[in-house]
Amino acid sequence: MRLHVARARAAAAVMGALLGCAGAGLPAWERPLPPIDESPVVPADRLHRSRLENGLDVLVLEDLRSPRLHIGLVARLGAGSEDPAVAGAAGFTTDLMERGAGERDALALAQAVEELGASLSAAAGWDSTRVSISGLSEDRDALFAILADVVRRPRFEPGEIDRLRAERLAAFEQQKDDPSSLVTKHLERALYPDHRYGIASEGEPATVAALDAESVRTAYRRIFQPGNSILYVVGDIRGDAARAHAAAHFSDWPSGSVSSPGPAPPARTPPRTRVVVVDRPDLSQSQLALAHEGLARTDPTRLEAALANSVLGGGGFLSRLMTRLRADEGLTYGVGSGFSMRRHPGPFRVRTSTRVEETGRVVGMILEEMARLKTEPPTEQELSNAKTYSAGSFALSLETSAAIANSLVDLDVYGLSPDLLDTYRGRIRAMPAEAVAHAARERFHPDRLVVLVVGPADALVSQLEPFGPVQVVQP
Amino acid sequence: MPVAAHHSTSLFGRARVLLCWGALGVLLLGAAAASAQFEDPALRTRVTRLENGLTVLTLVDRSTPVVSFQMWVKVGSRDEAHYTGLAHLFEHMMFRGTDRLPPESHERLIQARGGRVNAFTTRDVTVYYEDLPADALPLAIELEAERLANLQVTEATLASEREVVLEERRMRIDDQPQGRAFEALLTLAFPAHPYRVPVIGWRSDVAAVDVATCRDFFRTYYAPNNIVISLAGAFDEEDALAQIRAAFGGLEPAPSIPRNPTAELPQNGERRQVVYFDLRSPIFTAAWHAPATGHPDAEPLDVASLVLSGGRSSRLYRKLVYESQLALSATGSYWELLDAGLFYAYANVRPDGEIAEVERQLLAELARLRDEPITPGELAKAKRQIEVDLVGASDTAHALASRIGRDWVSFERIRSLEERLAAFRAVTAADVQRVARTYLRDENRNVVYVVPPPPEADR
Repeated sequence: MRLHVARARAAAAVMGALLGCAGAGLPAWERPLPPIDESPVVPADRLHRSRLENGLDVLVLEDLRSPRLHIGLVARLGAGSEDPAVAGAAGFTTDLMERGAGERDALALAQAVEELGASLSAAAGWDSTRVSISGLSEDRDALFAILADVVRRPRFEPGEIDRLRAERLAAFEQQKDDPSSLVTKHLERALYPDHRYGIASEGEPATVAALDAESVRTAYRRIFQPGNSILYVVGDIRGDAARAHAAAHFSDWPSGSVSSPGPAPPARTPPRTRVVVVDRPDLSQSQLALAHEGLARTDPTRLEAALANSVLGGGGFLSRLMTRLRADEGLTYGVGSGFSMRRHPGPFRVRTSTRVEETGRVVGMILEEMARLKTEPPTEQELSNAKTYSAGSFALSLETSAAIANSLVDLDVYGLSPDLLDTYRGRIRAMPAEAVAHAARERFHPDRLVVLVVGPADALVSQLEPFGPVQVVQP
Repeated sequence: MPVAAHHSTSLFGRARVLLCWGALGVLLLGAAAASAQFEDPALRTRVTRLENGLTVLTLVDRSTPVVSFQMWVKVGSRDEAHYTGLAHLFEHMMFRGTDRLPPESHERLIQARGGRVNAFTTRDVTVYYEDLPADALPLAIELEAERLANLQVTEATLASEREVVLEERRMRIDDQPQGRAFEALLTLAFPAHPYRVPVIGWRSDVAAVDVATCRDFFRTYYAPNNIVISLAGAFDEEDALAQIRAAFGGLEPAPSIPRNPTAELPQNGERRQVVYFDLRSPIFTAAWHAPATGHPDAEPLDVASLVLSGGRSSRLYRKLVYESQLALSATGSYWELLDAGLFYAYANVRPDGEIAEVERQLLAELARLRDEPITPGELAKAKRQIEVDLVGASDTAHALASRIGRDWVSFERIRSLEERLAAFRAVTAADVQRVARTYLRDENRNVVYVVPPPPEADR
């Protein structure tokens, strides 16, 4: 074995000489990072955009490397545009669209999709609503036909409406078994008491119980309009063939009036710090969130705010929160922070979990780190790390053509320029330190936030009282 | 996913013989296209074995800007002796610094390049991975080799990491009804085999494990002859292999790798357990002993899984969720491990549903698999679903590196897409009925209920 080791070391020396690059004698981690790669990420030669006469936008991204095809229709309205009185109507409607369309009832539609080995999904986000299908490109005719049926000819059968309503109400009860789901639900309620954002995107029992055929048809007509939608086709298909399929299935879809995206939320929330404990006496661990208003998806300062957040808690082990709470103190399995960017400012939140008896200490540490971000802005090294982290993870997130198409559709939904993907890494590199320091000072509010904890109230209330008035609620 | 065990004469099989000739022995794996329509990238995998026993799988795919570097260590919770949870706790310790690098440097250095870095432990293996921009590959190689050569395990880092793992346990198991259900099901199904132990370990053991035990575990299992490196994406193969040889070639192989000899006993009667948990939607779950990975019955068992729960047209969804409306979800799946397998069923009972009735209806559907052949339509649909899944499973560098790594640690060869598809195409309705009769027997069944505790007065 000793001989073997010697040979390996010799090989290493030879390698260093062969590579002959700067710093080759140093360990890789001591060599300087290469400059941020700013080359374009969108393959312009494979991307085709067009528009049908009824206003439907069509985006095709060819990728002939594998015999797969993804097709989707995205309407530029989502749950965020709903009247709070019918909260959940958009998601309820899309669920029903999967349960019968065209000539097929619920089971026949499922059968038709699954015989192709395909998957069909319809879902409402806050700002857009998507119906999508993916399968093999050799089934393109059938895939387009099913998608067109679901988008244009949903059946909304009364029996399915009753069945889905009962399922949804049961699922709301089941969510109470999951501590993380309880955090999300109660946090949004505490942050936005008078706004649609205060109710989960899928609604709540009272609003869903009231949904009927009329509310479903109203939501459908409001959301699904060709003049307010974009059809994407990604995968093993040529641009002209994809456009021909799109025209065959959607050009006679009549256009109607386009609805407004809904009212703006309050700009600042909460006015002062409050603590909400969701009482689950059986839990051994607290699930907790600290939150206040965040940023809109189109906020012009979102990039510097995201870099500042990366230093605080968005950058994994590079972030201050993960370093302190997990690496140094062993208080949690994970901690992260981020902005939920929607058409209007969604929440900024810090999320973590810790053993019940350490909850107060952890809340205190998070508040300290939020405050420190304002007094000690990101150092040169922290900012450099945040930039290379953001630029590198951006590139990784766009590895597949489907991911690139999704990002282009997302820009379209928010009316943002389609070149923002190609320019993203350059903008990151060029971001001045002062802009990030400014965002660090202005965008985080340790002095006014909602502290939401799911866990045993008996053990938690006294730990949390130092932070503000405590309200205990049931799941 | 399952395995075809009947291709021992393929190019992949011969590779092992050719590999013996020396430290630089390499072989280009099969060149035939997987099918007329789609070339399986995994066919381009090259296998290199260093003199110290380290196996390196390289798969160049320049259609992506990403490289996935994965280190598959052939140790899992099945290999633990005195302390349960040691394999997993040790996975955490691998991030706690080396002689030259302070704790968490590994993640920070990779993340500062925008890379994804993580690890996971199963009952059979521990896997570390870095998905990075292609130009950062040398960093991943050197960091992995550094912690194999110079890992530091100290009292201080072990003390804090132990707390992190106990937090993970609270999050995934103690406070999660599904976690409780699964933990109980495995202890019930495997009274003898170490698969009974949860990967994260029992709390008492995680709390007690010491530095000396960690170091001993490291010396025993983290040897180059117990490790497979898999690498997929955009990189220069010769450069990468030279870097890997330089970084890993000096590691000492272990003289032998100890394994637990315990085999599971045949089950001679149903076992049942009730777990009390404060929940609204009770959980029914059950498991039947099934073959280990690589068995020819794997494909028919996968087909059975899809017939039961491959979408809304499947039997369990139609019966329990759609028609009787007793459950929020209901599935049946084949789970294959290196030493054994399970076929398991799982249902979330609606808060207004009756768990005993869910069990009755679910078991009736499994009995139907034994009593009558599935329809030609069900068979064709399941095969098509598998085909689409397999074709889509090579989308990213990470998926490719995972696929070849998993195959190699399981079978010491890589199964081509064509081979996998052929094995599924050969499945008949009679095969599915036969495996249902063989494995889904009542006396081979383990049942767990997770339900709310009864009122105090009834206890």
